[in-house]
Amino acid sequence: MPMTRINVGPVHPSTHGVLHFVVDLDGDTIHHIETHVGFLHRGVEKLCETRMYMQIPSYMEKLDYLAPLAWDDLYVNTVEKALGLEVKETAKYARMILLEFQRIASHLVFLGTLSNDMGQMFTTFMWSFRERDSILRFLEDVSGGRMFYVNIRLTGLNRKLPPDFKERAYALTDSLETKIRGYREMMESNPVFAERTRGVGRITSRQAIEYGVSGHVLRASGIEYDIRKSNPYYEYSKVKFRVCTETAGDAFARYKVRYNEIFESISIIRQALDMMPDDNNVEGMPIKLISPQAKPDIVINNSEMPRGEGIIYLVPDKQRPYRIYFRSGTYTNIAMLEHICKGIKYADFFAILGSMDLVAADIDK
Amino acid sequence: MEIQREALAKTLNEMRSKGFDYLKFITAVEYPDRLQIIYMFANLKTAETLSVELNLKKTDADLWVDSIIKEFPSANWYEREISEMFGITIKGRSAKRLLLENWNGTDPPLRKSFVWGKEYKKVE
Repeated sequence: MPMTRINVGPVHPSTHGVLHFVVDLDGDTIHHIETHVGFLHRGVEKLCETRMYMQIPSYMEKLDYLAPLAWDDLYVNTVEKALGLEVKETAKYARMILLEFQRIASHLVFLGTLSNDMGQMFTTFMWSFRERDSILRFLEDVSGGRMFYVNIRLTGLNRKLPPDFKERAYALTDSLETKIRGYREMMESNPVFAERTRGVGRITSRQAIEYGVSGHVLRASGIEYDIRKSNPYYEYSKVKFRVCTETAGDAFARYKVRYNEIFESISIIRQALDMMPDDNNVEGMPIKLISPQAKPDIVINNSEMPRGEGIIYLVPDKQRPYRIYFRSGTYTNIAMLEHICKGIKYADFFAILGSMDLVAADIDK
Repeated sequence: MEIQREALAKTLNEMRSKGFDYLKFITAVEYPDRLQIIYMFANLKTAETLSVELNLKKTDADLWVDSIIKEFPSANWYEREISEMFGITIKGRSAKRLLLENWNGTDPPLRKSFVWGKEYKKVE
């Protein structure tokens, strides 16, 4: 039978961004996949070399537009280390709470779009976006921005927390927990969803390490690795939470890891709220073009982002980065696709793509 | 830890036997006198990390390094990235396609000699 070549993307509803796959099909079976990225390459690393330290955070937020706080926070925290600054105690908890809310918001987009891609038209999608919107509204009241917050400042946040911050955060976690528990039946008792994800795109733990996958893809293959646990930053060492893992390594396991992580995040938020001092002393340094001078040592900083491990390698100059490198989890996860998609059915490709949860802007940078 | 180019494969095998079998990233930094490649490895069981640094002279003849795809398949895209962004030749790999597709590749963008605002031709 002659081979058929299909172009998936660059603009395709299932790629959730500008990605291009050239798929060679033998009947309905995938013979070969070639991944083309770079459509969103902005040269952020080069751009950062021409900007002062605190001009950069707004670029960071556009790396992963579904979880902007994660990169913003990692970057500012890296600069704090380069400059030798200490984060305020209350601000550490506040950042943790905001980051975990951000993680839930990002995971909700994943749940909604995955169920949509799997033919479960719109119900879970609408629900998850409803819950995500309640988080975005909360984050907007805290930071002043709805999608892009840019509210992390050196040593703290951009302004004091609202007076009713704790009450609202507790109430939000309660409502999220109740509502998201309801998703489970919608997803797992749906035979179409289970059929299309179970046993699809299996990655063994050995493959996961060999191909360097990261985040929920790594944990779904049975490897218990979470930066919040293995290399705790802020006050993550003081809160109790479980690293969610699955052993199957398929698309369903990746969904399951994400789903369970939402409840761990809710638990982390509650514990952090309990421990957070009441002094509301979270205001950081105002943005100034000239910041304190950086020390000459190289800084390597990492954090557990919603889409995998984010790492920044910073070679500091006095007032701007001499060289800065960003490693995102999605970059290695997408490289994995070519290897696991050989010999599968074409329809399964979208289940794998959806379960990887890629953001094109985060890959290209 | 800093190593010589010739010792790369041997060092990687030694590290693998010590449990550092997860490649976190490969990147490069251009210093005034040299170009440094950084390989970052991790041991996922103990959560330790180890960086291997390799210094190259900045002459065209000397800007090469052996590919480590055989030892670490995850190095594939990172090698493509540093090869394109810094103009480093990676020996022993077949993929020639660039990540940025239309970039002509003659003037590596992350090198300090890169000229801002210059117009580049597309590769046909």
